Amino acid sequence: MATATDKPRGAQTHPDIRSYGEVNEDIIRMLDRPGKWWWILLGMSIAGIGLLAFSWGNQIINGIGVSGLNTPVGWGAYITTFVFWVGIAHSGTLISAVLFLFRARWRQSIYRAAEAMTVFAVMTAGLYPLIHLGRVWHAYWLFPYPNQRLLWPNFASPLVWDVFAVTTYFTVSSLFFLLGLIPDIAAARDQAKQGTLRHRLYKSISFGWRGTDRQWHHFGKAYLYLAALATPLVLSVHSVVSWDFAMSIVPGWTTTIFAPYFVAGAIFSGIAMVITILVPIRKIFGLEKYLTTKHFDAMAKLCLVTGLVVFYAYLTEFFMAWYSGKPSERAVFWNRAFGHYWWATWIMLTCNGIIPIMLWFKRVRYSIPALFVITLFINIGMWFERYVIIVTSLSHEYIPFAWNVYRPSATEMGIVIGTFGWFFFWMLLFIRLLPPVAIAEIKEVLPPPFRPKKKEVAR
Amino acid sequence: MHDIHIPKDIQARYLTRKSPLGMAFLGLAVLGFGAFAFLLTSDPNRAWEAYASNWLFWTSIAQGAVMLAVVTVIVKAKWNWSVRRISLAFGAFLPIAFLLVIPMLLGLREDYFPWLGDMATDTTVAKKLAYLNLPFLISRTVVGLLVLFTMSLIFMYFALRPDMGPDRAGDEEGDGGRARWRERLSGGWAGQEKEEARSWARLKVLAPAMALVYAVVMSIVATDWAMSVAPGWYSMLFPAWFFMGGFWGGILLTALVAVLLKRAHPAFDEDMGPQQLHDLGKLSFAFSIFWAYLVFSQYIVIWYGQQPWEQSWVIARSGSEWGGLSLAMITLCFFVPFVGLLGRKPKMIPAWLGTIAVLGLAGLWLERFILIAPSLHESGTPTLTLWEPLIALGFFGLFAFTVRWFLTTFPVIQKWQHPQEPESIEAELPPEEARLVGSRGR
Repeated sequence: MATATDKPRGAQTHPDIRSYGEVNEDIIRMLDRPGKWWWILLGMSIAGIGLLAFSWGNQIINGIGVSGLNTPVGWGAYITTFVFWVGIAHSGTLISAVLFLFRARWRQSIYRAAEAMTVFAVMTAGLYPLIHLGRVWHAYWLFPYPNQRLLWPNFASPLVWDVFAVTTYFTVSSLFFLLGLIPDIAAARDQAKQGTLRHRLYKSISFGWRGTDRQWHHFGKAYLYLAALATPLVLSVHSVVSWDFAMSIVPGWTTTIFAPYFVAGAIFSGIAMVITILVPIRKIFGLEKYLTTKHFDAMAKLCLVTGLVVFYAYLTEFFMAWYSGKPSERAVFWNRAFGHYWWATWIMLTCNGIIPIMLWFKRVRYSIPALFVITLFINIGMWFERYVIIVTSLSHEYIPFAWNVYRPSATEMGIVIGTFGWFFFWMLLFIRLLPPVAIAEIKEVLPPPFRPKKKEVAR
Repeated sequence: MHDIHIPKDIQARYLTRKSPLGMAFLGLAVLGFGAFAFLLTSDPNRAWEAYASNWLFWTSIAQGAVMLAVVTVIVKAKWNWSVRRISLAFGAFLPIAFLLVIPMLLGLREDYFPWLGDMATDTTVAKKLAYLNLPFLISRTVVGLLVLFTMSLIFMYFALRPDMGPDRAGDEEGDGGRARWRERLSGGWAGQEKEEARSWARLKVLAPAMALVYAVVMSIVATDWAMSVAPGWYSMLFPAWFFMGGFWGGILLTALVAVLLKRAHPAFDEDMGPQQLHDLGKLSFAFSIFWAYLVFSQYIVIWYGQQPWEQSWVIARSGSEWGGLSLAMITLCFFVPFVGLLGRKPKMIPAWLGTIAVLGLAGLWLERFILIAPSLHESGTPTLTLWEPLIALGFFGLFAFTVRWFLTTFPVIQKWQHPQEPESIEAELPPEEARLVGSRGR
């Protein structure tokens, strides 16, 4: 019988990591020396934020008319990118909460970065409702607050559900992120120079962590409960986002499969983004010890599974549109594949359905450059998926008289590109300020530093 | 987090053959199918509805249980080492399920598939002719089920084979049937280690392929045998809802039989310990919530959309006639498992977990019935009568008989275990310590 019990257990540690101290050093070293590439990327991100500010400023001053939005396409690149970023935000909670509950331990090296990505992706997504509002100074109208006019938002509107879903998700994922950070920040605090700004920051957000037994006990409990609470959120947030569309009776939008289909797509794009981001981080900071090819293999498998669910949904959509026998449904899906926006649909199908087929091969899953390229395509494909859903349906709604073609304007493109700058700006700051790999959890799986046995010393 | 400890030497143990249970199950089968034959003469439509919904239920949960074993192979799970064989045992029903679908293919016509008649009168339905026609329906059912069931049987073969070596002859307690099957499954025996390696290599390839085939074939089955019964209606999520329900049923079945087996032998009781019950309980809990999520995802879109063609299906199931049953279904499939399995302790109490599993399965049985019957129901006639459970007993008899046969003929706990790859960056506790913090030592 070939069980693990045959092999000496404890012999399966990563060969390159030898001690607890090494983990501390390796990870916290990342916080000290930013290096040339970090500054170049930061500069590019800040330029992106500048572009965002300029484009949005243009829209605020001149009005929403500077965007390409018009009847009938009232939702375009903004909502597409909103859904894209909310989707990206899904992998973090999946990796940290769901995989935690499933005892998939390979998550330990990647979950910190994935969680950070989640928080920043929600922050990016959160910009879009504001941008899309046009008159952003009325943004607080989104929230139900008691007022003398007794005016409330329409609670039956999925857009209001969205406000709650996304803010809840942001709250819980930030809490989860910060909770998991506490022991590691304490480690960073102990290595930071007394009295510096950095030391003061770590001191305040490590909440007096000293790593006592009692603290670890509470920490473990809190982490488990938060994981259990965060798991349904992985499903709920993007379901609610999907209902923004599915609740209306626009052909191509009103389908029952939307909720799970959006969730699968969100996780798919999120994992792809984690891979896209971790590849350069691993390279720049020399984290090969901690982010092994096995981690990438596991992430690629997750990508493959969720990609298959998404592809199943595509096929179901096309089949059911035909099976419905309804002229409107059939026309919408015909239009998607062969109409004005055929190219967007085929980008979506190629990037999300066909290119991920390569992930079936082990050699591809173990090749970091291949994964980097594939996941870039998936990111592009997932943006186009939302574009296809939103724009093809709206531009071809109901009466042919009202059909129109939508093209994103320069302002819209500036904002879309600019938000990538905004996202990576936070990501880069995170890498410099907080330990991007979970120190404590990696130590959990290293052999404990017992005094070596006598015969080993003799050897 | 704790480790799963798998003992080094697992004894091959069988369920005892000497028990009147086998005959009792056959008796139930005779009773149930007798009732079906009797009802066929007086009310053929009701008889066929019950037959078809029962076939959908028992087949989907049997296949779902096999899929649990398949999925745990894909993810190389360790926790279910002692209950993996149980999940596979339900595959023994699949050949019977294939035989049982043949009468449906031959006997079901206009009364079950209203579209056969609607083609001439309803222009929307007429547009579906390329898919909704009998020759295509029969051929895709036969081909789809043959492929899926054959793959399942091949999967079971490779999972069993390393336990069927010639040196296992001593375990059989002189049982001729066991010896015959062992010899049949171990032709060309190449030695224990080689067989294990070969089986594992085959299983690893077969498992992902089966997951794909399962989704596709079960989607077709759901569309043909449940959705097309209301020819003007469709829901895109329906097929996925159907096969995820089957998967959930497979989890519940595994939990239920594990709980029952714990009483059969102290070794089973030890090996299917709190760890296994806890994990099965967690999965039962999670997939019950997932079932509810899929129901809700469909319901809210249909409710909000207010489109008559879409709502009629829901209204038929929520009116005065069927509303009670639908409510019972949701209660059994969601509220009971949710409340019953909340928290850690309830999942580890065998009798409690078993009870919840039975209730969940009852809910799923109701679901399969409600998918079909209200669409064909003539208002004013009774909804659920004694006949449906009676016919269900017939199916149950065959189901339980085949599963029992499997567990008496093959070792209940898989003796060989798949090799465990080193984790990505991980050290595991030595076995002595794992025992302390792991499944047994709590």
